[in-house]
Amino acid sequence: MAERKSIEETKTALHDVVREMYDRIVKGEPPTMTLPVRTKNNIGFDAKLGVYKYGRKQTIRDATSLGSAKQLLRALHVIEFIESMIDDGKSSTLREMYYISEGWGLGKFQSQNESNNLAEDLEIVTRCLREDFKLRPEEDGARMIGNLTLRERNRRGEWMRINARDDVGDSGYGVPYNVEAEKIEFLEHDVNFIMAIETGGMFDRLVENGFDEDFKCALLHLKGQPARSTRRIMKRMSEEWDLPVVVFLDGDPWSFRIFASIAYGAIKTAHISEYLATPTSTYLGITADDILAYDLPSDDLSKKDIEALNAELSDPRFADGWWQEQINMMLEVGKKAEQQSLAKYGLDFVTETYLPEKLQALGL
Amino acid sequence: MSIAEKMAANQKQVAISEFFEKNKHFLGFDTLNRALITAVKEAVDNALDACEEARILPDIIVKISKLDNKKDILQVEVEDNGPGIPRASIAKVFGQLLFGSRFHAIRQSRGQQGIGITGVVMYSQLTTGDPTHVESKIAKEATAVSVDIGLDTRKNKAIKSNQDRIDWGEKVHGLRIRTTMKAKYQRGRQSVWQYLRMTSIVNPHADILFIDPDGEKHHWQRVTERLPGRVEAIKPHPKGIELGQLQRLCSESTESRMTTFLRRTFSGVSQRAAKELCEVSELEEKLKPKSLSAQQVRALLEAFQGERQLKGKSVKLLNPPTSCLSPIEELLIKKGLSKTIDSKFVTTMTRAPSVAQGNPFQVEVGLIFGEGMTADKPVEILRFANRVPLMYQQGGCLLTKAIESVDWRQYGLDQAGGRGVPKGPAAILVHLASTNVQFTSEAKEALSDNETVMEEARKAMLEMGRGLRKHLEKQKKMGKTKEKFELINDIIPAIAEKSASLLELPVPDLAASITKIMSAVIAETTTTWNKATKQTDVHITLYNYTSRARSYTMLVNWPERQGASMVNNNLGGRKEAMGVWAWKLETLQPGVQTVISYSLADLEKGDWNETDVFYRGSQEVIGATKMDEKLLEEIRRQEEALNAPLPEDDEPLDVNESSDDESVDESEPNAPPSDTMQTTLFGGDY
Repeated sequence: MAERKSIEETKTALHDVVREMYDRIVKGEPPTMTLPVRTKNNIGFDAKLGVYKYGRKQTIRDATSLGSAKQLLRALHVIEFIESMIDDGKSSTLREMYYISEGWGLGKFQSQNESNNLAEDLEIVTRCLREDFKLRPEEDGARMIGNLTLRERNRRGEWMRINARDDVGDSGYGVPYNVEAEKIEFLEHDVNFIMAIETGGMFDRLVENGFDEDFKCALLHLKGQPARSTRRIMKRMSEEWDLPVVVFLDGDPWSFRIFASIAYGAIKTAHISEYLATPTSTYLGITADDILAYDLPSDDLSKKDIEALNAELSDPRFADGWWQEQINMMLEVGKKAEQQSLAKYGLDFVTETYLPEKLQALGL
Repeated sequence: MSIAEKMAANQKQVAISEFFEKNKHFLGFDTLNRALITAVKEAVDNALDACEEARILPDIIVKISKLDNKKDILQVEVEDNGPGIPRASIAKVFGQLLFGSRFHAIRQSRGQQGIGITGVVMYSQLTTGDPTHVESKIAKEATAVSVDIGLDTRKNKAIKSNQDRIDWGEKVHGLRIRTTMKAKYQRGRQSVWQYLRMTSIVNPHADILFIDPDGEKHHWQRVTERLPGRVEAIKPHPKGIELGQLQRLCSESTESRMTTFLRRTFSGVSQRAAKELCEVSELEEKLKPKSLSAQQVRALLEAFQGERQLKGKSVKLLNPPTSCLSPIEELLIKKGLSKTIDSKFVTTMTRAPSVAQGNPFQVEVGLIFGEGMTADKPVEILRFANRVPLMYQQGGCLLTKAIESVDWRQYGLDQAGGRGVPKGPAAILVHLASTNVQFTSEAKEALSDNETVMEEARKAMLEMGRGLRKHLEKQKKMGKTKEKFELINDIIPAIAEKSASLLELPVPDLAASITKIMSAVIAETTTTWNKATKQTDVHITLYNYTSRARSYTMLVNWPERQGASMVNNNLGGRKEAMGVWAWKLETLQPGVQTVISYSLADLEKGDWNETDVFYRGSQEVIGATKMDEKLLEEIRRQEEALNAPLPEDDEPLDVNESSDDESVDESEPNAPPSDTMQTTLFGGDY
């Protein structure tokens, strides 16, 4: 289980990575870095944690090709950079690190994606969190509205008490990138469940219609594929307050993936699934049968959509019967629909008819 | 007689002026844009033909200016440095349609494709009412003739006016034409610019300056001083003759015996064949050709075409000689392409001459590939017949079909379904040289289908495709080698240093890791033009990154047949075969590098840009190809064939008993066996 590590533990873990490379060279072998395979073929369900984690498959990145040798060199630069931040009591964003790498010569990153991936690689290998590495994401956290009270430590180090309904404007409470206990504490709430919503348009519709008050729930805007902090705060709220989470997304293959990353863990971050995933969350819609049942305006599946659906069929996270049925149904119908297509029946249809019906079916 | 006079003497006339007025649509004057291209084309083709015959390196200036914008009146001026036309012949050349030696002599020439310059004079007169101004100077006269030519279209006669003599100063000989016409200047794929660009590609010996209506100058410079090979007129071949022609040849003959007539009038007819032809057509050998009846001429034609047979076989005829053809040749195509299209890789292929229906022909192809060309569009197709660009009706042309019939995907170009015009950053050139180019229509823009020609063109494409694939594979290999070097020279040392400094330990020794990583012998080859010495320098550096000593024979290809010589060869070596040099390297110690270097003299810049390196030995050499011994055998065999004494001219080829069609495909004995003419021996699979 990923846990916060002390400074010393973090440094030792990083040095182990360096040591692997060094020792190989001394032995007259090409330097290497060993890490788990990060594809859907190497994730398995961890019954104890209730989420998907990386399996035993290991990949050895060795310096026999230019690409992986450069990766190793970059890893060394990143480790050096992290150590210097730890020593200086600084932190940086991943994007800043990407720009700082400009000065690393041969070890420089070609794209931001590369630096993000490498930070994740190091998390996986060292079993540390990027917070331990003093690296922050650029990503924008979610926003939240509902009768929840929490306290957040501001940059002056003072605790601020915030009610996510009464103390915020229409845009809601902005979730910071760090949502760990040192930054946020949950105080009290008066809601029955949390509803995570994919699009801003739908979030605003529910806010305007007063859905959170009518149905005693908290609304959370995911902003597409949710950031780590968004998934982490959902996880904490559902665990610490024992609240059910329902997820309301578009009805397309990509939304299915968003749900999987919320409920079961994302493939990319399977090393910390237990820390980010909310296994108790439920997919509310749009389902493939909703498209038919509500006769929603829809678009034909594109070639890429179909490829994605087929890939999902063999994804262990979608192995259960309900998902197989949904995916196959979507492939059969050949259609996808957006959340906001519900507006076909008027602006209030979603809050007055669709959601109440769906929530009732879930027993909420 | 001067060359100019000789040329003029050959001219015969055909009255056909009125025909033009009614048919200008398919003579190349149907649209205002096309009329302009045709006019330039007629003038430039004539200039190139005349220069070629007179063995002059052509300097051609084309200038187009707008006279009247509203009425689309343009002035076209074309000037060359050719032999000029004698005063007495000017009226005939410019004033009579279908006037010219090319309709009567059997040889490859540009001019056979157009209606001729008279068409331009006529079009000008029809659209503007103005005569065409001609200035001509021949070397032996001190001044140039200046004259305006108009046409009497009914009498098919020129009307001369304003005749004068003018001083041309320094210029010794040449021709200037200035004509006005209703026409439009356009840019793009079908334009005067494109025509001249294409012309310059296949006429690398010409210097062409084009001044467009905006005054902008486009200059295609001469890239070789070598004139196209002199082409000889040949006698007609029995297979390629038609009834009317045969009748005329018989009736005009002064021979007294059929056998002599057959041997002297036609190519490919031996004494034995002449006798056999008489026998199967039931003609007395002693008969006078002049006295042949229509019936007898028909019988002779049937014998020619194999319809009358001797003991179940048609009379064996030799192929016509191919000296009447003038291919551009590979190096020059390469140069032509390189100067007009700025790109990296060029491969070319000149097939050996062949014969279809008694007509000698030869196919040449070229392909240029690389950056600077659009990758996601169909490749540019540059079609030529006898060095004349074909710009219209691309889809219906045999040459396009030959390109389309190749599955280019296997050679590294995109092609939907493996058919059609491929896509990619490339241009493909196809040139058909023939004494009788068959077009689909009078417009003479597309070649008509012909199985033999198609097959030749296709073979040439395949060969060239292999060259492209080889190039791409080599690029890939070179990229990999480069990567390996970066890996061991830069990245691994950096990893060692950084890891040592993070752990505060000494930097470890890298030699063993590097050997493990490379575990190969690597060859790095550079081929560069040396400006100072005017030579092409080749360096091959071999590194042994294995743990033990190695021994190899390294081989390279070099343009020996193109007349290059090898100098400053540091390690000596020996000739392995024509165009293949070899060095035996007894011991390459581990961790040591060895350099082979030499220079190629007697080449021009751009003649040789890439050297293929081969090896003989057990361990793979990255950056070189394992020598295919069979291929080498093949090279040696063909070399022998080339050097072998040739059979006598009049002896029939000892062809195995085979169908008549196949025997037609055999080459004339005094031409080398067809395969030895192929020069891309290294283009094959190995």
